[in-house]
Amino acid sequence: MKVRTVAVYYVFTIWTRIFHWLMVGAIAVLFCTGLYIGNPFYIGSQGVEPTFAVSNWASMSTIRFIHFAAAYILMASFIFRVYGFILHRGDRMLPKPWTKLFWTGMVDMGLHYSFLRSEHRPYLRNSMARAGYGGVYGMIFLEAFTGFAMYGQINPNSWLSKLFGPLNHLLVDEYIVHIIHHYVAWMIILFVIIHVYMATRADMSEKYGEISAMFSGVKFYDKEPDDVGDLKE
Amino acid sequence: MKRVVVDPVNRIEGHLRLEVVVDEATGKVQEALSSGTAWRGIELILKDRDPRDAWAFAQRICGVCTTIHSLSCLRAVEDALGIEIPKNANYIRNIIEATQMVHDHIVHFYHLHALDWVSPVAALKADPAATAALQNTVLEKYNLNVKGPIEFDTEAYPKEFPKATTVYFRSIQDKIKKIVDSGQLGIFSAQWWDHPDYDVLPPEVHLMAVSHYLNMLDRQRDIVTSHVVFGGKNPHPHYVVGGMPCSISMNDMNAPINTERLAVVDASINMTIALNNYFYIPDVLAIGEIYVKQGYIDGGGLAKERVIGFGDYPDEKYSGTSNGDFHNNLLLRSDGVVENFVQGVDKAIFYPFEAKDLSDPDVLTEGVEHSWYDYPEKDKDLHPWNGVTNPKFTGPKEGSKTDWKYLDENGKYSWIKTPKWRGKMAEVGPLSRYIIVYTKVKQGIITEPTWVEKMMVDQVDAVSNMLNLPPEKWLLSTVGRTAARGLESQVMGYISKYYLDKLINNIKAGDTSVANTDKWEPSTWPKEARGVGLVEAPRGALSHWVIIKDGKIDNYQAVVPSTWNACPRDSKSGYGAYETSMMDTKVKIADKPLEILKVIHSFDPCLACATHLYDASGRELTVVHSDPYLRL
Amino acid sequence: MKDVESLWDLFQKRNVSRRNFLKTCVTITGILGLSPSLISDVVSAAEKQPLVPVIWLHGHECTGCDEAFIRSQSPFASDVLLNMISMEYMDVLAAAAGEPLEHHLQEVMKKYNGKYLLAVEGAVPLNDDGIHCMVGGKTFVHNLKEVAKGAAAIIEVGSCAAWGGIQAAKPNPTKSVSVSDVVSGKTIIKVPGCPPIPEVITGVIMHYTLYGQIPPLDSKGRPKQFFGNRIHDTCYRRPFFDSGMFVEKFDDAASKAGWCLYKVGCRGPETYNSCGNLRWWNGLSYPIQSGAPCIGCSANNFWDNDPFYNRMPNIPVPNAIVNADQVGIVAAGALTAGVVIHGALSTIQHKRHHKETHETENDNE
Repeated sequence: MKVRTVAVYYVFTIWTRIFHWLMVGAIAVLFCTGLYIGNPFYIGSQGVEPTFAVSNWASMSTIRFIHFAAAYILMASFIFRVYGFILHRGDRMLPKPWTKLFWTGMVDMGLHYSFLRSEHRPYLRNSMARAGYGGVYGMIFLEAFTGFAMYGQINPNSWLSKLFGPLNHLLVDEYIVHIIHHYVAWMIILFVIIHVYMATRADMSEKYGEISAMFSGVKFYDKEPDDVGDLKE
Repeated sequence: MKRVVVDPVNRIEGHLRLEVVVDEATGKVQEALSSGTAWRGIELILKDRDPRDAWAFAQRICGVCTTIHSLSCLRAVEDALGIEIPKNANYIRNIIEATQMVHDHIVHFYHLHALDWVSPVAALKADPAATAALQNTVLEKYNLNVKGPIEFDTEAYPKEFPKATTVYFRSIQDKIKKIVDSGQLGIFSAQWWDHPDYDVLPPEVHLMAVSHYLNMLDRQRDIVTSHVVFGGKNPHPHYVVGGMPCSISMNDMNAPINTERLAVVDASINMTIALNNYFYIPDVLAIGEIYVKQGYIDGGGLAKERVIGFGDYPDEKYSGTSNGDFHNNLLLRSDGVVENFVQGVDKAIFYPFEAKDLSDPDVLTEGVEHSWYDYPEKDKDLHPWNGVTNPKFTGPKEGSKTDWKYLDENGKYSWIKTPKWRGKMAEVGPLSRYIIVYTKVKQGIITEPTWVEKMMVDQVDAVSNMLNLPPEKWLLSTVGRTAARGLESQVMGYISKYYLDKLINNIKAGDTSVANTDKWEPSTWPKEARGVGLVEAPRGALSHWVIIKDGKIDNYQAVVPSTWNACPRDSKSGYGAYETSMMDTKVKIADKPLEILKVIHSFDPCLACATHLYDASGRELTVVHSDPYLRL
Repeated sequence: MKDVESLWDLFQKRNVSRRNFLKTCVTITGILGLSPSLISDVVSAAEKQPLVPVIWLHGHECTGCDEAFIRSQSPFASDVLLNMISMEYMDVLAAAAGEPLEHHLQEVMKKYNGKYLLAVEGAVPLNDDGIHCMVGGKTFVHNLKEVAKGAAAIIEVGSCAAWGGIQAAKPNPTKSVSVSDVVSGKTIIKVPGCPPIPEVITGVIMHYTLYGQIPPLDSKGRPKQFFGNRIHDTCYRRPFFDSGMFVEKFDDAASKAGWCLYKVGCRGPETYNSCGNLRWWNGLSYPIQSGAPCIGCSANNFWDNDPFYNRMPNIPVPNAIVNADQVGIVAAGALTAGVVIHGALSTIQHKRHHKETHETENDNE
């Protein structure tokens, strides 16, 4: 039996890991309830009988409440994310388009994913993943801003409305805000599909512990990753 | 010879410019030009939209005859898609249309037209007590004694009467005095109050009419209450393709339409009938008679030569317009063309207007010889379905592009196209409808007149008796055009009551359906379809033309009443109705062309409706007078 | 402003007692939705505030907003026109036409420079130097800029003046824009709506004439007392929304029962207007109450938020009418299929590579 010698890298703090799984749950709930809010479909009766969402307890107001609650949980989970970010370098692996490594890494991964290069260099987090995560944070923030812009208007004299309300004018009109909120939700779901696949693929072919890292916080490498500088001085 | 420009023309919808050349010695108008000076391009905006939304877009063509364009649009779309609307929807749409007609006519007469005849300044000279007495006389004397069918007679006694008391007229007079004394005349500023025509009426008539101006300003809103009940608002009530959105139910507390809601409509219609009978008809006849008796019977213009109408108010369901079914059960069969009414009803010539004429590319066409648009083939007029809206501005004759002095009557000078019936010009409007129905009934073309047609003929005969003049002598004039509108308003009041009765009866029979949604989904539509929607709008015959392709609007054209009337001339067909009527009007003082305002206002111009879309070559065009009575 | 009267002067001239005057002020306070504690303010404002000269210009419009203006019942349009303001220029109601009217406009602008209120109805077409709307032989944009210079404040009456309106909808053939797009440095009050509710138009004018100041505005310049809340948040059918009780298609049983119109495209959730509280004809109805979904007529760009009967716009896909959810489901499905194929190919490549490296390693031994 061949023995694999690996070095252990502590990448994710517990805070980031908690954040990640809270986010997974919140986004799943937000997406499903959001779809219902956008188009109140029904399972069961139609017409003269009330068209409840799924069954009698899940009315529009309940579903909206769940949607808003999940949104607040998602927002609150960012406290963990930020805490981790401050605490530990491993939680700060942002896309760094000003470095050469970011771009060589991008080419490397591109060639690998299009089957032109059978193996890519080892990375703690490759450039494409970094760009992708940067993108998804951007989308979540857009969802949060547009969401609060709509939500805050329930009380137009509230501070929430004063803070986010002007977004409704900035983006032409609140209808457009609704549309952006809805379209970006779909884009996040498309991201999720790619993300889950990429993580699984990496986990199976590269044995760096891609998936388990989100539980344990550590990754295993037999060669030193190119971007190890992001973890150690 | 003096060239006078009136721009902006006031008290109309939209932007209209008039230029007249007046012979100061004789008062004769030698040349007259009418120009629509704004173009919004709504037809282009409608392209590629969902046909189910089109009514809302088309509705915004005009906010004065609001609802009329949406109705015409709905009829066009439903014709194209083969949608038959339920009985109730037809009744409700007819109620909305008829009350709109009354509202439009009353606001036109009192607020857009009255100040051409009536002066608040002259009212100051009136004796309030004599005015009260005059009001009584007017109410007694100018009563046409016609009544429409009323099945559910819900009103114990008429609720709206003019106030014929001295105190009332004195308080109005005091208010006018205060306004005049303050020097801030507001809306009454800057008019030619010293014009001799304001002396035609005695001061008491002025005071009575100014009082009614104010009274009607407060009341007019209640005429269109039915729009708010059935369509949620006014102007621009809501509809839905396939019928109406206002579901009827006597089983649900929150239904849009129930007994109480119908009672609100009923009260409004009862009031509307009273406003016609006790305000509008007596006022228009009293003022009209004085003018006619003093020989003011000019301004007939194109109506003497040719008028056109499409007919309206389907009594029951119809399966479409293109297939001719729309014309099968109309209450107001003003469809057709009448020429030569000026020689008397016996010598008038009637031409039918049939369903097959709608799709015939030679019957209805629009030309752009003098309009600021471009057609693919010069000099070739296009049928509305093939209509092209391609703006091409050329500028004025004198002045700059953005600062006009005079427009070029020999070149392009208007954003209005020139619609034609078999290559000829025709006038549309209430006057046209009266001429057509009167001719059809008197010549026996209509053998069994509907109650509406009978009432219209009775009205014309009654007024002719009162004036002791045959209809062709008084109808074909500025006064006649204004009077026909008043008469029509009276009929429309009863039409709205008639359809409310029908609606109630149908609900009683158990039918509460208001929308046919069988063909709501675009998947049920043909790949390509074309349709036309006809409406007798307040200002005359209106048609909307639509082509739907792959679930979207491929081409949209509206040929509206004010297009027919306000259109620029054409070298082959002659002058349009506005231009002809101005040339048929004598102007006393060239610098104060009150008569021009009066005759143009008698058409109730609606320019936003009319303006579609010009020729840089500036070639000389000879305009042929096709009207033998106007030939110079 | 010697000739200008205050409301109290008018009441004195009309021999109305102070008691009745105060009663009227109480009513006005109620109409404007102000708290009773402001009554004394209304009284003093009505006593002191002079009548305001108003100039009302028309651009690219349909005159529906004038029609809405005269439909007002509280206050009546006649009372506004004759006792609260002095409507010096408004071609729809003006007795005079043409040159005398234009001359009068010039005089009014001079006489009341900096003091008149300018109401604008209609959008401003800019295409081809603005020749798509000519008034008095000059372009509307020229006239507007002239009159705006001396205005104390500008009211954009209706969605056309406030946002550009229907003529600004795609493809905007005349390049129409709102008044605020061409006029700057002035206080602008937006009163959107197609048309606005009658009492909203007269309410804004009345507020100005009573207090001598413009009503509190939101961040976009709309009076908060009329455009503060969404129709959805003030709609009497809101409980049906919250319970998930929806009209599925027109004239169905739910339609008769008066349930929520959300699923047939109602724009109430995005639209700010007084339809839900003031309603039309002083509380009689509004489109939703009459069974018709709101089309969002007071919202910016609402014409291009079509089709009106769907919650979401269609996505331009050739030969199909589809919305984001349908595209989303197809995209998610295609993407899933894509990753499965990619995964399979990756596995093959991985195995082959692994074999190669393994063989190389063996060779080395």
